[in-house]
Parts: sequence; C-alpha cells; structure tokens
Amino acid sequence: MTLALATRHTAWLTYRSVLGRLRQPAALTPSFVFPLFFAALGSASFSRIAERPDFQEIASSFLNYAVAGAVAQGVLFASTSAAGDLATDIEQGFFERLLASPVSRTSILLGRLGSAMVVAVVQVTVFMIIFMAFGARIESGPIGFIGLVGSGALLSLAIGGLMSGMAIKSGSPEVVQGSFPLVFALMFLSSAFFPRRYMTGWYRTVADWNPLSHIVEGMQGFMNQPLAADMFWRAWLIPLGLAVVSIAFGLRSLSKRLAAL
Amino acid sequence: MGGVELVACNDMSTPPIVAEGLVRHFGSGDKVVKAVDGVDLTVNDGEIFGFLGPNGAGKSTTVRVLTTLLKPTAGRATVAGYDVATQADMVRRSIGVALQDAAIDPLMTGRELLALQSVLYGLPKARASSRGDELLERVGLTAAADRRVGTYSGGMRRRLDLALSLVHEPSVLFLDEPTTGLDPMSRLTLWEEVRRLNREGTTVLLTTQYLEEADQLADRVAIIDHGHIVRQGVPRDLKAAVGAPTLLIDVAEAQSPAARDVLVRFGDLRPTSEGTLGVGLREGASAVAAVIRALDDSNIHVRHLELNEPSLDDVFAEATGHRLEGAEAPKQ
Repeated sequence: MTLALATRHTAWLTYRSVLGRLRQPAALTPSFVFPLFFAALGSASFSRIAERPDFQEIASSFLNYAVAGAVAQGVLFASTSAAGDLATDIEQGFFERLLASPVSRTSILLGRLGSAMVVAVVQVTVFMIIFMAFGARIESGPIGFIGLVGSGALLSLAIGGLMSGMAIKSGSPEVVQGSFPLVFALMFLSSAFFPRRYMTGWYRTVADWNPLSHIVEGMQGFMNQPLAADMFWRAWLIPLGLAVVSIAFGLRSLSKRLAAL
Repeated sequence: MGGVELVACNDMSTPPIVAEGLVRHFGSGDKVVKAVDGVDLTVNDGEIFGFLGPNGAGKSTTVRVLTTLLKPTAGRATVAGYDVATQADMVRRSIGVALQDAAIDPLMTGRELLALQSVLYGLPKARASSRGDELLERVGLTAAADRRVGTYSGGMRRRLDLALSLVHEPSVLFLDEPTTGLDPMSRLTLWEEVRRLNREGTTVLLTTQYLEEADQLADRVAIIDHGHIVRQGVPRDLKAAVGAPTLLIDVAEAQSPAARDVLVRFGDLRPTSEGTLGVGLREGASAVAAVIRALDDSNIHVRHLELNEPSLDDVFAEATGHRLEGAEAPKQ
C-alpha cells in the first residue's frame, strides 16, 4: 500500500463521512444549535458580570467570552457524533465491507477523524459569522480567526480519536452516545462557560487540571487579546498533544480489533 | 497513484479456492464453539460452487475465513493462489465479495458507492467512472444510480452489492446467501447474472440454504453441517448415490394388484400415500418408457404418473439424519 493510495482512501472515506453528516441534518443540528443556545443563555444571564473590572481583563463582553466555549462545545458534539457513525458502521456491517476490500486499515479511522475536522472547521466559521453578527469581535484579527479555526480542528481530532477508539472497542453506537455525559462533564468542569478566577474549592481545582480549560482560554485569548504566541501554545499545542495520544489509542483499538478477527 | 492491480491468480496451476483442514473456533475453554471444524474443499477454475447448509452450519464462517475477514484457527486455505492468512491483502485484491450481513450505506447513492469502491481497489479516476456506468447498466440500476440506497428495494440492493463486488473485475467471486429474502423475480434475475458472470470466466463460490438455488446454479456442491462437510460433488451424482428415482402411479383400485405385479419387475416397491403405487426404478429414469409399455400391455389404465428424482435434501438427510430446515426456496 503506497502512501498516495492510503491518502486517497482517507480522502474518500472523509468525503463519505461528510456526505453522511450532511444527509442527516437532524444529527448535525444539535452540534450547531445547542452551543449557540448556551451562548445566548449565558450572555443574557451573566451580561452584568462583564462590567466588573477584573472580567474586563478577560473579555470586553460576555458574548466575546462565550464564543470559545461555544466553539469547544460544538466541536465536542460533532466529534462524538462522528465516532457514533463509526460505531454504526461496525454494528451494521459497513466496516466489514471495508475490511473485505484492500482499503488501508488506518484510513478507516482517519477518514472519520477527517470528517470530524471538516465539520469542526465549518462549524467554527459559521459560529464566528453568527457571533460577529451579534457584536462579537476578534481582537487578534484575521490570524486570530485562523487560530480559532485551527484550535477547533485540533480539538476535533483529540476528542474524535478518543471517541473513535471507544467506538472501535465497543462496536456499539449506544456506548459512544452513552459516554457523552462524560464529555459534557468535561465541559462544565472547565472555564468554557465561566472564568476560572470566579471558581472556588474542588471545582476550581478540577478546572485548573482540566486541559479543556487551557484550550478554551487559548481560544478566548484569540477573541479578546492582541495576538500573542501564548495563545497558540494553549489553543494549538495542548489539543495537538491530546490528539496524538487519542489517535494512538484509536489506532491501537483498531489494531486490536483486527487482530481478534 | 498506482493503477488498478491485476487480479489474475498468483499461480495458474493452483485451483482458485483450496481449503485444507480449515478450522475456525470461537471462544475458548468449555465455551468453545467449533463453527468450522476441518473443512477440505477445492473449487476449480470457472466453476460455480454451491456451499449448502442450514443456518449455523458453518457456511458463512468458512466464507469469512476464505475472504480474509476471519483468521483460521487451524488449517490452510489459498484463494486465487494466495494464502488467506499470510497474503491477505493479495487475496482481497483478487476477489469480489458480496456478504449477506455487509451493509450498504443507505445515505449514499449507487453511483457514489461504486466510485468509493473503485477508489478502494485503486482504479484510476477515468476508468472508475466508466466502470461504474458499465456495472450500473449491467445490473439494471442506471435509472436509480443517483438515488440514495436507502430508497432501494431488497432486490436492487443485492444487485448493487453484486455490482460493487465486480468493480475490479475479480477472477473469484464469493456470494454469501445472495438471494435470501428476495422475491422470486429478483431471485431469477440474480441467478441469471451469476450464470452470465460464470460464462465470462469468473469462478463463483456461493453459499445458500436453498436447495433449488444450489441445484440450479452449482456445477458442484458441498453440504456442510455442524462445521463439517458431509458430502461434496456434482449434484446429479450426489443424488444418484442416494438411490434410484421413485416412479409414482395412480390406477383404479381394482387394477392395483395387477399394476403391483408389473412394477415389481422394475424395482423395489416403495411406501406411498394411499391410492398410489411407487417403485424405485433400478435402472433410473430411462426405465419409465418400459414401465408404461408394460402397464399398457397389461391393459392397466394409468390416471397419473410422476417421477421423483432424489433431491439434495435427500442427500442431506442421508448424510446427517435430518432434513435441511427452512431450505425450500419459494416455488418459481
């Protein structure tokens, strides 16, 4: 198997996955609607906190603050759904159809991750258009926008790799969907919806250790601060590191599944 | 980007499918299930080989091993001249596979699936498009090519599945219960397509639980039960080995003793339903004319006559002691 052919397999399986997503609008809708709903809710409920001088150090408005959380939330939803589709392929037999062909085995996983990444890029772009229509501003300019999109894409790989690994291990869409509350808990126990500086006790400790807090704060940096290298460290390198680990987990799960045939 | 791999057999002197002592177990310890337990079979070049057995007999597991979807627990098999365990990728490039349980993505169109399949088998872009059109026409799906597969009937899906398995022009084709659940018309269409492929030189191994399907299509059959092949050969020979065909005649009750005297000259009388006489013809179907002449010479008026050849179900029953459950295909 040449690298060129494996790349072609990955590109086509990505295309197939994206088509599948687009042709199930009902499955795609939550990852677009819920983050916007939570952002609107947060902006309406907590707008006055943005008047505090210490909040102004973080963001100029709660809407500007909420963008990063919405992006992260949307990406988590979409990546989990992509992994759910992989589990459905296993459960319903399309996975076996692929295995009967000389497809690059790695492409089966990378195709799904590719689609999660494509959806993430589209999602972040759509979110930004909507948020900017309601008055949000990217303080770091066009490069900051690229920073946000890139961060969303890398986060989709990190979560997608983990969830796809679970999908391959279990072969059950229910198990993948069942793990979604854990992803949601990861969101709520981070600074996605509220700044860490206002948290106390164990909640603060968990949020401090939660890598999602640091990724989201990197994204918030792109939205609310002049461009700085620190933003890329947090918004790109942390999800990149997580993506490497989670994709390795996904590939190992795939390899184990194939070895057990 | 490489072109399509040639799918000719590795070693032309080796039959396209050979299995020797093939074993596949599931589970371990006390809970081990011997799905395939020492299968030996050879499928010759250009043959349609029927693999017949009830549900759970080991047909699909054998096919999964031969198509590299499962690894053998023991034994050896080669397909298209390549070892299924050590040269799995070459096997996959050489064969076409249409599996009963392998779903077709309902969200994609027939044309999109054929394009994807062409990419997976490494067909160049230009060839992929024309090959897709050829196959859609061949299986009668040109009009439905741009519809999502989710809107296809069962018969259309099976035809698309067959088209997908042919994208790379394989020399060996595996069809796992290709007509299960199809209506009689769709079944006949698929049979005709299988025959056509075979005439064009494709070696076909098909599993089925339908006696009629094996009888109609297969040059040779293997009958499998509980993971073992219990009979293997040409259907006609297998049936002949079971015994002579039975001639049933219906005569007036008053003429029954005289008819009995005539029939006994041609073979052993056999138990039949009330009002009918039966004889196992020692010399086979060719003796029917002589029986009719003898009955006529004795002035016996035959109201109804029927010659029953032994069926593959009789072969199965003779080999296993039980009938092939649910094997009867709907009457054509």
